[in-house]
Amino acid sequence: MTGRIELPQGTLDLIILRTLQPGPQHGWAISERVQQVSSEVLSIQQGSLYPALHRLERRGWIRAKWGVSDNNRRAKFYELTRTGKLQLELETEAWRKLSVAVDQILEGA
Amino acid sequence: MLNDLRYRLRALFRHKAVEQELEDELHFHFDREVEKNMNRGMNKEEAARRARLAFGAHEQAKEDCREARGTNIVELTLDDTKYAVRQLWANPTFALVIILTLALSIGANSAIFSVINGVLLKRLPYAQPERIMRIFLSSPDFPKFPLNPFDFLDYRARNHSFQSMAAFVRNDMQLSGVGEPMHLNAFATTSGYFRVLGIQPQLGREFDFKAEIPGNELQVILSDRLWRTQFSADPNIIGRKITLNAQPFTVVAVMPPGTEHPGNNYHSVAYGESVDLWSPFAFTGNSNQRGSHFMEGIGRLKPGVSEDQARAEMNTIMAQLGREHPGNDTGWSVLVVPLYSEVVGASRGMLMVLLGAVGMVLLIACANTANLLLARASARQREIAVRLAMGAPRLRIIRQLLTESLLISLIGGALGLLLALGGVRALVALLPANFPRAHDIHINWPVLGFTLLISILTGILFGLAPAVQASRTDPKQGLQGSRTTTASRHQNRLRSALVISEVSLACVLLVGAGLMLRTFLNLVHLDPGFHQENLLTASLSLPHARYNTDEQIAQFYSKLEASLNALPGVVSAGAGSDVPWTGYDENAGFNIEGKKPAPHQEFHARYHQATPGYFTAMGIPLHEGRFFTEADKHDARNAIIINRAMASRYWPNEDVIGKRITFEDQPKKDSDWMYIVGIVGDVKDQPNSTGAEPAFWWPQNQVPQSDMSIAIRTRSDARQVEDGLRDAVHRLDPQLAIADIKLINQVADASISTPRFTFVMVGLFAGLAIVLAGIGAYGVIAYTVSQRMHEFGLRVALGAQRDDLLRMVLAQAARLAVPGTILGLVLALALGRVVQSLLYGVSPADPLILISVAVLVLAVALLASYVPARRAAVADPMMTLRSE
Repeated sequence: MTGRIELPQGTLDLIILRTLQPGPQHGWAISERVQQVSSEVLSIQQGSLYPALHRLERRGWIRAKWGVSDNNRRAKFYELTRTGKLQLELETEAWRKLSVAVDQILEGA
Repeated sequence: MLNDLRYRLRALFRHKAVEQELEDELHFHFDREVEKNMNRGMNKEEAARRARLAFGAHEQAKEDCREARGTNIVELTLDDTKYAVRQLWANPTFALVIILTLALSIGANSAIFSVINGVLLKRLPYAQPERIMRIFLSSPDFPKFPLNPFDFLDYRARNHSFQSMAAFVRNDMQLSGVGEPMHLNAFATTSGYFRVLGIQPQLGREFDFKAEIPGNELQVILSDRLWRTQFSADPNIIGRKITLNAQPFTVVAVMPPGTEHPGNNYHSVAYGESVDLWSPFAFTGNSNQRGSHFMEGIGRLKPGVSEDQARAEMNTIMAQLGREHPGNDTGWSVLVVPLYSEVVGASRGMLMVLLGAVGMVLLIACANTANLLLARASARQREIAVRLAMGAPRLRIIRQLLTESLLISLIGGALGLLLALGGVRALVALLPANFPRAHDIHINWPVLGFTLLISILTGILFGLAPAVQASRTDPKQGLQGSRTTTASRHQNRLRSALVISEVSLACVLLVGAGLMLRTFLNLVHLDPGFHQENLLTASLSLPHARYNTDEQIAQFYSKLEASLNALPGVVSAGAGSDVPWTGYDENAGFNIEGKKPAPHQEFHARYHQATPGYFTAMGIPLHEGRFFTEADKHDARNAIIINRAMASRYWPNEDVIGKRITFEDQPKKDSDWMYIVGIVGDVKDQPNSTGAEPAFWWPQNQVPQSDMSIAIRTRSDARQVEDGLRDAVHRLDPQLAIADIKLINQVADASISTPRFTFVMVGLFAGLAIVLAGIGAYGVIAYTVSQRMHEFGLRVALGAQRDDLLRMVLAQAARLAVPGTILGLVLALALGRVVQSLLYGVSPADPLILISVAVLVLAVALLASYVPARRAAVADPMMTLRSE
């Protein structure tokens, strides 16, 4: 459990969008995947995940569909929309710039 | 954007489905988490526990999701409203009591507000009404006096403050030649009268300055109503001649509908569309004689000129006139009063008092409702604790409870508005007859807005404290399932404070009602100085065209008096220049033989005319000397009768009969003198005037006056001589109109209608207040009794007597009622100054009223707690012991 970091909101949106890039996922899978890929460093509280998903859906960046999960249960799957993909590119680029800039400052100091 | 809207609409209209999906989604997540934990080798319980921990507060998450949907406010409100309706439905008696009390109080507020809106807030129906000023003279003896016509001409010529200025005077006319002769309300006006008011005629044009020249006065402007009813809206009426006072007048203009009379002080005509026609005022006579004052001034300020500037300039002009016409024009200052204050000034104080009173009723109703809600909130503690434990945020609980209060207050407001709709009609009917702008009182948009506003405000006011209180519920304590949910000490204090303030406000209102009642009774029981019973009065006006000599006028009234006295059932009949309490205010200055007045304190008195039968008909008693007789004729010695007030002001402790007064500065002949032949009792100007003004009467036969009031005293119902009066008049002159036929009771009634109205209103509010305060006291006592039943049972088991319990509960009630009463009485004393001007013959600190109110309030409070106290007294010890 140690070493986990809570995410600021903008970053959470970016991560969700990125996680959905390979294909539709349901909420639980998203949170599992984030945890896995980030080597257990990042965890998304369910209390923040679902509101974020609903918010992204309202903005039209992701779309929800009911489908059947791998264990044969009804689950709500989210997938990127076209604007969502665009948004992901924009945000990824913004994030890269930000992180490079922050790195430079941290090292320069 | 479009997506956003679609999303929100779906969330709104497919609310149930969306909620279900959310629940399913979260549930799915939870299950997978449990599954995962079990796969790691936990047992089922542990897995579920860990999942729950990871998940966080379920309700909170849902709440955040709803928030994210962006339709939260609407959805929540809908939700809360549905919930609130269910809550109210579950406890209909509670809801009904609260809604009804609120409806009554909000309705009363709306009704009073509609009066205030129509009378005080609505603009006067003229262009830029704030620039219209009334102009009066003022001196120490006559604080508000009419203008002299020649002074007026100088004001008009010399001032630079007014864009236009006009003067007007009541000058009723008789219309004949179109059906029955008709008496019409009319004014003689100078040119520019309608320019001042800012109203254009719909046909023709208003009088020009030439109309003020004697000989040009046979012109007339008609009101829209007269034009429609008597002249069938003839579009070609301009230039047509009509017969007024038996003379041909040329119609020069027709005013548009909505031409409202701005009011006048002398022989006043009500505000509103009350005037039928206007004729030019012609300036006749010697412009250096400026002693007679009878014109009312009105003017429109130039843009940018202030009231004070205008007043200063007018006073400078008056000072100049004082130097040019020493004597007549000295000693006066000029009053410039905004028309608005003039119209509503007198009613403003009363309306503000009523607004204050009705506002207090609303506050009491709020306190009452808050109290009942607090009681119920403690009963709902469990429910709230559960919701808090499930993770509902505190704000959400407050919101929900506030939604409930708002729902209650809005239903109350809607019902209140219905009550106000009926109430306003009753209110207007109750209003004093001379009340300004009564025709402007309606339930309209501003009143609707006001009702909505106070409904929302009251909802928040009474709902906030209970809601915040309830949200403070400690979920742990609330859930522990104690036997009875006990209110916190803090809450009990709040509730007691609410009851105490209710009681004190009710006290204030009751004291107010008591004062108004005393005022009203004092006025009713006032000795008016004449007999009101079986007395019919009417007005006659002899047109100058046919009665142009004093002799003709004197003869007419002598003959009329004789034939009226011969009517069956008549005790006595006569005629006078006026009847009491009608605002008659004609004054004259004079010299007294052998006396010198102090500078600027000239001898003056009201003057009247009377026929021989007048005093007997009015029932005004003779104190000394004699009444007039037919012998007081044109060629006999000049006689006058004076009232007691005049005798004691100018001849204190002297023998007055035979004393002489004169209007001449250097009296030469005997006919310059008037001899006092009698002293009669005082009749006050208004029933509530502090004292009678000095007054004297001329015999109608010596100083004939063409406009007279007829007084007929009968043995029984005076209405029965109405036809006799008509016949008698028409036998003498078939073309005469008889106006204002009424019983003097009606005049008397009208003069006390303002205090009666105030009393009825404040009384109603006070009654409502005391009932509400009673409900409040009952609520609190009944609640604490139900909480303490257990303790009472224990006490009985330990040997307490029933009477002890009864006393204990009543003592608790007294602890609320006594401080409330004391506070209320102190508050009432402090507010006494505010109502002072509405009172007559009673001090705001009247001990009888204060004591009666205290006794009444304490009695009501104890009575309200007696029922719950009885319940306490029959506490069953067995019940207590069994439950332990």
